[in-house]
Amino acid sequence: MFGSLATLQPRQLAAQVLNFALVLSTAFMLWKGLSVFTDSSSPIVVVLSGSMEPAFQRGDLLFLWNRGQETQVGEVVVYNVRGKDIPIVHRVIRRFGGGSAPLQLLTKGDNNAADDTELYARGQSYLDRSQDIVGSVVGYVPFVGYVTILLSEYPWLKTAMLIFMALTVVLQRE
Amino acid sequence: MHNTLTRVQNVFGFFTSVAFAVAAAIAMSVLLSPQTPSASLELRNVQVVKGRPHYYSTKREEYAHVKFDLDADLTSLFSWNTKQLFLYITASYPSSDPTIIPPSEAVIWDAIIPSDYAPLHPNTYIHPTSKTAPKPKKSAKGKGKKEVGKPYPAGASPGIVRLDNQKPKYQITDVSGKIAERENATLTLHWNVQPWVGALVWTNTKTVGRWQGLQGGEAKFAFPPLKGTEVKKDDLKTETGGERNRGSPA
Repeated sequence: MFGSLATLQPRQLAAQVLNFALVLSTAFMLWKGLSVFTDSSSPIVVVLSGSMEPAFQRGDLLFLWNRGQETQVGEVVVYNVRGKDIPIVHRVIRRFGGGSAPLQLLTKGDNNAADDTELYARGQSYLDRSQDIVGSVVGYVPFVGYVTILLSEYPWLKTAMLIFMALTVVLQRE
Repeated sequence: MHNTLTRVQNVFGFFTSVAFAVAAAIAMSVLLSPQTPSASLELRNVQVVKGRPHYYSTKREEYAHVKFDLDADLTSLFSWNTKQLFLYITASYPSSDPTIIPPSEAVIWDAIIPSDYAPLHPNTYIHPTSKTAPKPKKSAKGKGKKEVGKPYPAGASPGIVRLDNQKPKYQITDVSGKIAERENATLTLHWNVQPWVGALVWTNTKTVGRWQGLQGGEAKFAFPPLKGTEVKKDDLKTETGGERNRGSPA
């Protein structure tokens, strides 16, 4: 099985590596291009918690749009708590400011009785639209993001998938 | 060329292409179903009292308690791609500088109305039933099922909401803490249609293709001056929603 690998010409091997690198860089370019188009650092997110049930369940895929500076009450936004890197998907329930003043937003999950004041950083009572918001949800696809949740909760799945993909690439010489 | 691995890959590739195409078709099909939403929203009573943001806070702020009447027919918003309707009523009032800063807005009441095909979830709106409705008889077996409230009045369908002197879910305040004696406030009904797959849509007041804009659903009012101790505690009770996470937000 691995003997066939030894008979590969260096040029063929280099061509295969180049193909692989092209596939990876195309995927990366598409992702970054979408990021620029939507003006969001993370244009597609997976729902991680059940705080927006029954609208969004864990594993749902959300498409974000960040070019609307005048976020309205009722829109679902994704934001990062200052100092932490966990994205939270909740609905805007109050807004103050906008226009020439910084837009301040208060959010709350549909499945939470309390609003998000406790989740914000210490001393922060409202989110700032220009600083904290990653994007506003415009589209939704159910379930397909669940594989990323599985990958993060069971790290051995990541190594298993990588080994499987490497094997298929190596054994298929076409 | 025809080994199992290739076949599995081809089937999987075809499956994802078809699934993608079907999802896109379902998402686009909502544009074809006509919508004729209508609503009548009226202010019933508004009181402004002093309160605290939460139990241990030392801040004393003014909170407005807004009661309203709502009669809405939003059944046409429910298409085959509708998972739920998130209805919410907001109170908006002009900012300190109306020429350059848009009005401030806060939600006073919201409700999650699922479509009849959505799986049962505890976080659902339960429409208040009239007090004169006859009580259901207990089943003969003795192990009677608990009567689950529906998100619409008896005999109606999802999207019909008839509320009389409805208490708000949230008492609202301004970021400055002062909300008494503000003029030119507006009570507005909004909705957010959550699809099974596709784009989320919000209230449309203008007609777009087959979707007519919302008729009605607005009421103008003014916040009254601060009331003192003459307000009864009962009058300030708020409505409890169906949210499952009580206490600290998740």
